[in-house]
Amino acid sequence: MNNKRRLWQIFGPVLCAFILLVAVFLFPWERTFSKDTIYEAANSQTNTVFKGVKLKQEAFKGEYVPFYGSSELSRMDPLHPSIIADKYNRNYRPFLLGGPGSQSLAQFIGMQGTSKELKNKKAVVIISPQWFTKQGQDPQAFDLYYSPLQTAMFLLKAKNSVADRYAAKRILDMPSVKSGVIKDGLKKVANGEKLSGWDRFLLENKVRVLTNEDNFFSTFQVRDRIEKIKKREKLLPDDYSVKALKKVADEQAEIHTNSNNLGIDNTFYRNRLPKKVLKKLKGSQKNFDYTKSPEYADFELMLTQFAKQHTNVLFVIPPINAKWMKYTGLSSKMYQESVAKMERQLTSQGFENILDLSKDGAQKYFMQDTIHLGWNGWLAMDQAVRPFMELPNRPYNYDLDNYYFSKKWQNKTGVKSINLANKNYLKDK
Amino acid sequence: MNFNFINLQPYSNPQYFIYLMIALIPMILGLYFGKRLKIYEAIFSLVFLFLIFDGSHWQQGVNLILYLVFELLLTFAYQRYRTRKGSPNKTWIFCLAVILAILPLTAVKILTVMPVGSVPFVVGFLGISYITFKNVQVIMEIRDGAIKKIEPGTYIRFLLFFPTISSGPIDRYRRFKKDFDKAPSRDQYITDLQYAVRYLFQGFLYKFILGWFFGTYWLPKISQQALLIGNANGGLKLSWWVVAYMYCYTMYLFFDFAGYSLFAVSISYFMGIHTPMNFNKPFISKNIKDFWNRWHMTLSFWFRDYIYMRFTFFAMKKKLFKNRIRLSQVAYLLLFLIMGFWHGLTWYYIAYGLYQALAIIINDYWLRFKRKHKDKIPSNKFTKWFAIFITFQVVCFGMLIFSGFLSQLWFGWQ
Repeated sequence: MNNKRRLWQIFGPVLCAFILLVAVFLFPWERTFSKDTIYEAANSQTNTVFKGVKLKQEAFKGEYVPFYGSSELSRMDPLHPSIIADKYNRNYRPFLLGGPGSQSLAQFIGMQGTSKELKNKKAVVIISPQWFTKQGQDPQAFDLYYSPLQTAMFLLKAKNSVADRYAAKRILDMPSVKSGVIKDGLKKVANGEKLSGWDRFLLENKVRVLTNEDNFFSTFQVRDRIEKIKKREKLLPDDYSVKALKKVADEQAEIHTNSNNLGIDNTFYRNRLPKKVLKKLKGSQKNFDYTKSPEYADFELMLTQFAKQHTNVLFVIPPINAKWMKYTGLSSKMYQESVAKMERQLTSQGFENILDLSKDGAQKYFMQDTIHLGWNGWLAMDQAVRPFMELPNRPYNYDLDNYYFSKKWQNKTGVKSINLANKNYLKDK
Repeated sequence: MNFNFINLQPYSNPQYFIYLMIALIPMILGLYFGKRLKIYEAIFSLVFLFLIFDGSHWQQGVNLILYLVFELLLTFAYQRYRTRKGSPNKTWIFCLAVILAILPLTAVKILTVMPVGSVPFVVGFLGISYITFKNVQVIMEIRDGAIKKIEPGTYIRFLLFFPTISSGPIDRYRRFKKDFDKAPSRDQYITDLQYAVRYLFQGFLYKFILGWFFGTYWLPKISQQALLIGNANGGLKLSWWVVAYMYCYTMYLFFDFAGYSLFAVSISYFMGIHTPMNFNKPFISKNIKDFWNRWHMTLSFWFRDYIYMRFTFFAMKKKLFKNRIRLSQVAYLLLFLIMGFWHGLTWYYIAYGLYQALAIIINDYWLRFKRKHKDKIPSNKFTKWFAIFITFQVVCFGMLIFSGFLSQLWFGWQ
């Protein structure tokens, strides 16, 4: 065999593979998802779905409404919003976005890919006061939810504004962003510099490659909870009535919390709170403080995004299981202070749809375990979600204030609580 | 100053290979036309070394330079001592040289287990172990007279040979020099390229696909379940998930490290250097001794030649043991304990060393027993596969110890 032929045999396949690879990654593939796939994804809380774009876009074009939240979304008892919506054939279906540790910053990035689809639409946000720690977004958890695709999308839209500079700086604080064009872009935006044409070119190609990756793989290994949902639906009465639902909630909760006197779900109690752990936790949260946190500014990023989209948002602030609160020593006064601070931030900028459940932690079977809504808690939430969804849609305009990005606000204490029922007072603000 | 340093850790992502291949083109063309472009090669190596140790890794770079100066002074001093006319070749001077050579590595191993924050500077650098192995080997061969003269230029390139700097394979000086001093014939070089491309793509499959699935995709899920269920069970916190972790980790470790080694060998072949292979189908080993001839071969051969053999000769000369079997057992124990300590000063690495020593000693007993009772013990296809199966289980259990997961499970730290 002569040398040329040998060389061709060695490098020919490499060359072909390379050309094929570039072609596949840069080709603008289109794909659609079946209704079942979207339904499965909407209830899966799978990270690839959270980080991806295409699935969410398709879903929001239809009847799906994003429910931004965290670990409480996985408490799928029969009163869970997804199950109620499906059972009573509501005019919306929840698309669950978030899981343990998906705090405001991760959510903000996760919102970048669907700004067009959510324009003038509705959304629900379940706020966890537990996000508002001294550290704010947990970097390790952030890594699970960090979406390079949507970060690149953010960069391509970024302006030299307080919000965008702040967002870029915060993302750079996270160790997930290692190097490359995204990191360089974030540095520039954080410094208020403009991206060069070359940067934009690289980012656009990055977006294209990552979009394809998202298209190909986002439905890969999606958690399937459909059967679970259908099974739970059977427990609900055929006709919607709060009284009948309350009965189911009480019955179910009683069966599922009979192993302990803290009102905590049996499985959770067994797996997550074995004796040793339980002992350690007694009185352990005495010094927890949710009133001073960078999370307030990160939360403002979410609000900025909603304002840009003119989205009509319902915010839900859940309580903590009162027995648990007493056991761990968490201060109720501090909790209410942090809630007041969140509500001030919301109402003063025009976000007035707030369901404040923060004082309901002592109600029977309200929580599924320690800090997560369950049975009667879900039902209480549905009392706000149902009318909210029934109202016709209209675009909302908000009055944003950059003050909420400042260190001063992040560390501000002693914010007075607001009477949410008094709508006139809110208007005056 | 706020320089935006490009920092490239070897073989860490696909883009890296693109940069690397572009930089390799002149060298490949040179070798194809029968010329080794030594100056270009030196510049190329320096640039890629710089990219490993610049930016946020600069302290490591400084450490590397200090280390190199120290080791070179030591090696050349010892060489001078040995090549003097009528060199007395004292054992204590040789021992001193070896001890000094491993001193920096020992210090690094101790300093890295100090409590966080108690060491105010960055310790060591990427690949210090592997350079030390190379250096100790040279000192030993100078003592034997197998190496008469070290050429400084070649020697530095050998130590810093860029494709293998971070984690081996561990080459030998004399073998390296033979390749480095000549350019291969065209026919030979085309064969090299053929292997280089094959190893490169095998490496991609191993590290970026299989290694990713085992290590990034499955392992965290398994680990989470094992911890969750283990903590709920209490006691020894065992569950089937720990067994799953054991196999998954073993596969991850193999594909990740074998993939990396294939990259190193592949890039060496592009440069016309036949860096030895590190793995040879380790999971079809028929016993644990066979396993160590197939797993991380350049390391186990290094330990065999420079610890096991040295110790055995020394002990025989001094008549420390009457019983040869006892002698080999002690030598194994020594070898694997040192290997354990080298991995790191934590209980599970040392337990791993003891475990491997024990396994190989028991295996030796069995082999002797089998030899004595040849007529009674069957040997057929089934027993062969059974041996492979048993060996694989023993190996995987060793990797479970090595992974440190038990430490995480029992004590909450790794």
